Amino acid sequence: MTPKMQLVPDDPHVSWAPERSEKAGVAASVRGISKRFKKASVLEDVSFEVAEGESLVLLGASGSGKTTILRIIAGLEQPDTGRVILHGKDVTDLPARERGVGVIFQAYALFPRMTVEKNIAYGLKIRHRPRKERRETVNRLIDLVQLEKHRKKYPWQLSGGQQQRVAIARTLAYKPQVLLFDEPFGALDAQTRVHLRREIRALLRKVKVPSVFITHDQEEALELGDRIAVLNDGHLEQVGTPDEVYNHPATEYVATFLGAANLLLGVVTRGCVEIGTARLPAETETKKFREGQSVKLVFRPEDVCVSPDAKLPEGCRRLANGVIEQIDFVGAYERLNVRLDLAHRPQSGELAPLYQVTINTPERMVGVPVMATRPKPEAHATRYKPGDRVAVGLTSFSLLPNYTLARQR
Amino acid sequence: MKITAVRHVRGYDVARPVSIGVMLGIMLPLVFLPLLSIFIYGTSKGLGAFWSSLTAPEAIFALKLSMATSFWATVFNVLFGLFAAYVLSRYDFWGRNAVIVTISLPTAIPTAVAGFALLLLWGPYGTLGRMLNPQGVQVMFTPYAIILANIFVTFPLAFGVIKPVFDTMSRSLEEASATIGATRWQTFWHVTLPSLRGAIVSGALLTFARAVGEFGSTILVSGNLALRTQTAPLYIFAKFNEGQIEAANAIAIVLALLSFVIFSVLFFARDWLEFEAQEA
Repeated sequence: MTPKMQLVPDDPHVSWAPERSEKAGVAASVRGISKRFKKASVLEDVSFEVAEGESLVLLGASGSGKTTILRIIAGLEQPDTGRVILHGKDVTDLPARERGVGVIFQAYALFPRMTVEKNIAYGLKIRHRPRKERRETVNRLIDLVQLEKHRKKYPWQLSGGQQQRVAIARTLAYKPQVLLFDEPFGALDAQTRVHLRREIRALLRKVKVPSVFITHDQEEALELGDRIAVLNDGHLEQVGTPDEVYNHPATEYVATFLGAANLLLGVVTRGCVEIGTARLPAETETKKFREGQSVKLVFRPEDVCVSPDAKLPEGCRRLANGVIEQIDFVGAYERLNVRLDLAHRPQSGELAPLYQVTINTPERMVGVPVMATRPKPEAHATRYKPGDRVAVGLTSFSLLPNYTLARQR
Repeated sequence: MKITAVRHVRGYDVARPVSIGVMLGIMLPLVFLPLLSIFIYGTSKGLGAFWSSLTAPEAIFALKLSMATSFWATVFNVLFGLFAAYVLSRYDFWGRNAVIVTISLPTAIPTAVAGFALLLLWGPYGTLGRMLNPQGVQVMFTPYAIILANIFVTFPLAFGVIKPVFDTMSRSLEEASATIGATRWQTFWHVTLPSLRGAIVSGALLTFARAVGEFGSTILVSGNLALRTQTAPLYIFAKFNEGQIEAANAIAIVLALLSFVIFSVLFFARDWLEFEAQEA
C-alpha cells in the first residue's frame, strides 16, 4: 500500500461513541485486578482508568501481562480478584458478548467468508437490526474508513492496513463502550506502522471512543497514547502522560524501557547530588530526598551536553569532565560514548575548569561511561575525535530513590 | 498449484520419463488392469445386454438401497462427527483422549467383526435384541441394520476430517464474534460453520463412498435377501455366485464409476475445499 496521509472526513454529526451524557467521566476502570495461570502470577493488583474519549497505551515487554489485562476487560478471561467497570457499570461477571467492547485483534480476526460490508454489518445483523439501518450504518462506516472501492472484497484481498480499518469499522458499528487494540501494528512493516498509527490517531479523535492500546513499542506508545501505563512483570510501574513517563520516569524500569537512559548512583548532599567527586546542583530535584540519601541519577542521551571548553550552554548543569571514547553516526543524530572522570580530586585553588583528565591512562577503566547524542547541526559545528577532553553537563534529569532491597519500592 | 522439481542435471533429465514409467508400470497390473477389465467384460456382450442387466428390478433395488442406506449413514456421521469434533476440541475432560481413540477405532476393526458385533447386540439372541424382539422390534436383517453397519464402519471418517480443522481454527475468530455480541449459536452458525464447509463436504463424500462399498459387515447383518435387504455389493457377490457374470458386472461398473466421480470431486475441488486454509 502507498503511504499517503489519509485524513478522516469531517462529520461532526456522527459520533460512534456510545450514546450517553456528554460529561467527561471515566469510561473504563480496572480496579485491583489480579490473575494467576496455574502457579504463575500474571497480574498483581493492577488498577487504572480510561477517561471518556481518551486513549491509553499499556506498554510492556512480552510476558508482562498486558494482553491478559486486555482480555479481562473484553470478558475473554476472568480475573481472580478485582473488578472491571465500564461507564459506571460493573461488568466483571458479564460474558464478553454483553459487554459491548470492541476488540481489534492482532491479526484482525476478520471473518474470512464475509465481504468487507458483511463483516462491518455483522454486529447489527446479530442484533437483528432492520435492513435499512444496517445499510446506512455500513455506508457511513465505509465512508469513514475510506474503503468505498473495497466494500465487496474479501479480507484476504485487502492489505494489512485495510484489514485493520475494516476491523475498526466492524466494532464501531455497534457503538462500543471502549475500543481495545491488541498489538495493532505487530504484523506490519516499519513504514506502514508509522503511517497507520497516525491514521488511527486521527480516526480516534474523530469518533471519540475511549481506547486502550497494547504495545511493546515505546515509540508507538509515545505517539498513540494520551496517557501511558507501563507494565512490568504483572504490575503497573507508572501511569502518566507521554511527557511524564518519558521525562520523569517514576522507576528505573520505566526509565530504561522507554528509550535509552544513563544511570549513575549518587548521594544527596546540601542541594546537590554527589556522584563520586562530581557535584551536580539539583536544588528542586533533591527536595523530596533526605540529606545523605542514596539516589539514582537518570538522564537521557539527548539531555547530555558536551563542550570542548568549560563553557556549557545556558540551562545546562555541569556534571564532570570526560573523554570522548567513541563516535557513531546513527542517521538522524550523532552518538557519543563519553567516559566521565568521577574520581578526580580538585586541588585547592585549582580553578581551571578543564583540568587534566587522568582516565586516558592504563587505569582509565575507572571512568564511568555515559551515552550522549547530538543533533546534526551541533555535530557539524563542533567535531570531536576519540580522546578529546570535554566538559559534560545535563539539561534535565530525574532522581530516583536507590533502595538496596528491590521489594522496598 | 505449480509443480516444480529440483533440477539435478543440465539438459534432458532421464530420471523423469524413467520414474514416471516405473510408477505407471507398477500400477498397471495392480490397479489399472483390474479396473479396465470391469469395463471390458461388462460391455463385451453389447450395450443392450449391459442395459438390461442394469435395469433388472433386483439390480435397481440393490442400487437404490445402497444409496439410501449410505445417505442416512452419511447424514448421521457428518452431524455426529461435527458435534463430536466440537466437543472434543473445545472441552477438556477426564478420558478425552480415550474417547478420541475409541472414535477412530472402527477404521482398524475388520468389517466382518463389526457386523458380528452388531449381531451380538441387536440379533435375536443379542443383548438388546433379546429384550426388543418380544416387543416386535426387529432391527437385524432389515435396511436399518444396514444403516447401523454403515454408521459403525464409517464412524471415524467425517470426524477425522473435521476435527483437525477445529483444532487449527484460530480462536480469535470466535472470540471476535463473541465480543461483537454474538451468542454461542450465532457464532457457530455465522463464523465457525462457514469455515468448516470444506471439511464437511469432503467428510461427507468420504463417508458416502465408503458406505456404498461396504460389504463385510452388511452381509452379516442384512440377511442378504434379494429385493429386501440386498445392497449393491451384496448383489454383485450373489450374482457372481449364481454365475450371472454380466449382472454382477453391470453393477460393478456403476459402483466403480461412482467412486471415480466422488474422488474426482474430492481432488479437483481441493482448491475450493481448502479455501479457508490459505487465509488462516
